[in-house]
Amino acid sequence: MTMLSVQDLGVSIGPIAPLSGVSFQLERGEIIGIVGESGSGKSLTAMGIMGLLPLIGGQIDHGTVEFDGIELTGLSENEYRKLRGGRIGLITQNPMTSLDPLKKIGPQVDAVSRLHLGLDRAGAKARTVELLGDLRIPEPASIYHLYPHQMSGGMKQRIVIAMALGADPDLLIADEPTTALDVTVQAQIIRLLGDLVKQRDLSLVLITHDMSVVAQTCDKVMVMYAGTAVERGPVQDIFDNPKHPYTKALIGCIPHGLSETVRLKGIEGTVPGVAQYPSGCRFHPRCTIAEEVCTRNVPVFETGAKRAAACHFALEAAQ
Amino acid sequence: MTTLLDVRHLSKKFVSGGGPFRPVRSMHAVNDVSFSVDTGRVVGVVGESGCGKSTLARLVLRLIEPSSGDVQFEDLDLLAQKPKPMRALRARMQMVFQDPYSAIDPRYTIRNAVTEPFQVQGVRQTASEADDKTAELLSMVGLSEQLAGSYPHQLSGGQKQRVGIARALALNPALLVLDEPTASLDVSVQAQIISLLEKLRDELNLTYIFISHDLSLVKYFCDEILVMYLGRVVEALPSTDAAARHPYTRTLLDSTFDPDPKLRRTIEPLGGEVPSPFDLPPGCAFAARCPVATEKCRTELPVLRADDGHPVACHHPL
Repeated sequence: MTMLSVQDLGVSIGPIAPLSGVSFQLERGEIIGIVGESGSGKSLTAMGIMGLLPLIGGQIDHGTVEFDGIELTGLSENEYRKLRGGRIGLITQNPMTSLDPLKKIGPQVDAVSRLHLGLDRAGAKARTVELLGDLRIPEPASIYHLYPHQMSGGMKQRIVIAMALGADPDLLIADEPTTALDVTVQAQIIRLLGDLVKQRDLSLVLITHDMSVVAQTCDKVMVMYAGTAVERGPVQDIFDNPKHPYTKALIGCIPHGLSETVRLKGIEGTVPGVAQYPSGCRFHPRCTIAEEVCTRNVPVFETGAKRAAACHFALEAAQ
Repeated sequence: MTTLLDVRHLSKKFVSGGGPFRPVRSMHAVNDVSFSVDTGRVVGVVGESGCGKSTLARLVLRLIEPSSGDVQFEDLDLLAQKPKPMRALRARMQMVFQDPYSAIDPRYTIRNAVTEPFQVQGVRQTASEADDKTAELLSMVGLSEQLAGSYPHQLSGGQKQRVGIARALALNPALLVLDEPTASLDVSVQAQIISLLEKLRDELNLTYIFISHDLSLVKYFCDEILVMYLGRVVEALPSTDAAARHPYTRTLLDSTFDPDPKLRRTIEPLGGEVPSPFDLPPGCAFAARCPVATEKCRTELPVLRADDGHPVACHHPL
């Protein structure tokens, strides 16, 4: 069953168009990784799905976002509010700033189920304590009464996850959930998210810049570059047989710490800023196989197929 | 191989609190750390945030004064140097900082930034000498000399980090301490910077101390690795393929993801929390989270022992 379907999503902020050509589908129980470097449009994609663009003065310019059969792009703020935090949960990057420092963490988590599930105070508290236990937080009943500053970063991120789960969502969007955390804590949070998806049959959009996290957790991947999607496909296929030169180069940039001895190759040049997107394929100034057509024509990113690469010279299977 | 840097029993104690309502508390950010670095080697220092990596870097260069211990650099006792000779010695040891955005004065042109070390050292340069030196340094780090007149805000993060490296190289140092030089950069740029550092080491016979939280990057780039936990070195891996013998190193390795979906692993959750550095247990600091800890670990501090050239501080090494 398709939980989320994004077709040719484009975003504008005033006169500029920082995001275009994003398409993917997510089934129930699946994890999709949206991966790219900074400025690639990963977070804008998440904001577009969550209807949060007005916060930064942006709007959806074209395309559709369908969540479990509901078209989200035309929803009013009030209708969106019922979904956000309800059927769609958001996990943000920085657990240090997503909790209210003046309130105990228990009541902060309670607020979600009281608002969306209509629970009373006692019911919400019982639910929160149960949720904290599910997230392997030791002694949830006493943690309930702590303030955010009394907890470690990893523990705070678990609280943020508990809030996202507060109203039993169908879809979770996690925007760089482990970037601010140490490796051992990251490993635990990633494992926890994977377990939650299985146990609760959730769908998860995992936004990250880290190809290793994608390799370890996701079912499928969409690679983004300079505000547009460049490649999409099942995770194994993307790593074994990248079709877009950018995906291939990006994989060549990560040290295979444990298997190793392939020399690292950087990608010449830098990611262009929003105002300087090149004509044609946005990767062509840094691409090693670009030809004249790449400077003129924007390559097509197929919307329907499982596997798609927006490249005029999509690479053949590596032998 | 000659020993360039020799660090013995180095410690740094920080004190906080004091005053009528706050009790004085102290913590050892770096605690009894000993290691040596041979010329031409790349020594990695890994550990999680708060383990004392950056404090160690600053102590080694004497940017902060240690509470106790010895540092020998090129057979000179670094801590005994008076201010003037110390300043001259600093030309031989330089640092590249994590955040290239704040490491360069925003009101300096790139030319000013890379020639500032000469002014600090009192080296007089004519305008044309400075121009030549700037061009030479910029080309060494792969930047166009046309950037000499630009300001830092006109450069990308990767370019700024290259300027940071050029500045560190200006005085022909023997030792570079790299404190998370790629942590604020994108992976494609990180790979560029790492290749540049590899090239420079070969060309200039440099020695690096490379501080990072990224174990796969350290394994890729370094010759030997110090693993730190709460201010102490718990293990010194003599080579990158040496098997981990300390349970903490094992945990760190197990927490590092491979960028290959075929190598998926189930992560065993690590119990417990890092103890407060203000209130360390009497025994091994990792004991509370360690799967093989015994009563001895909780009461008796393990020392870093190198019976076979592979130092590890553990009562029950793997």
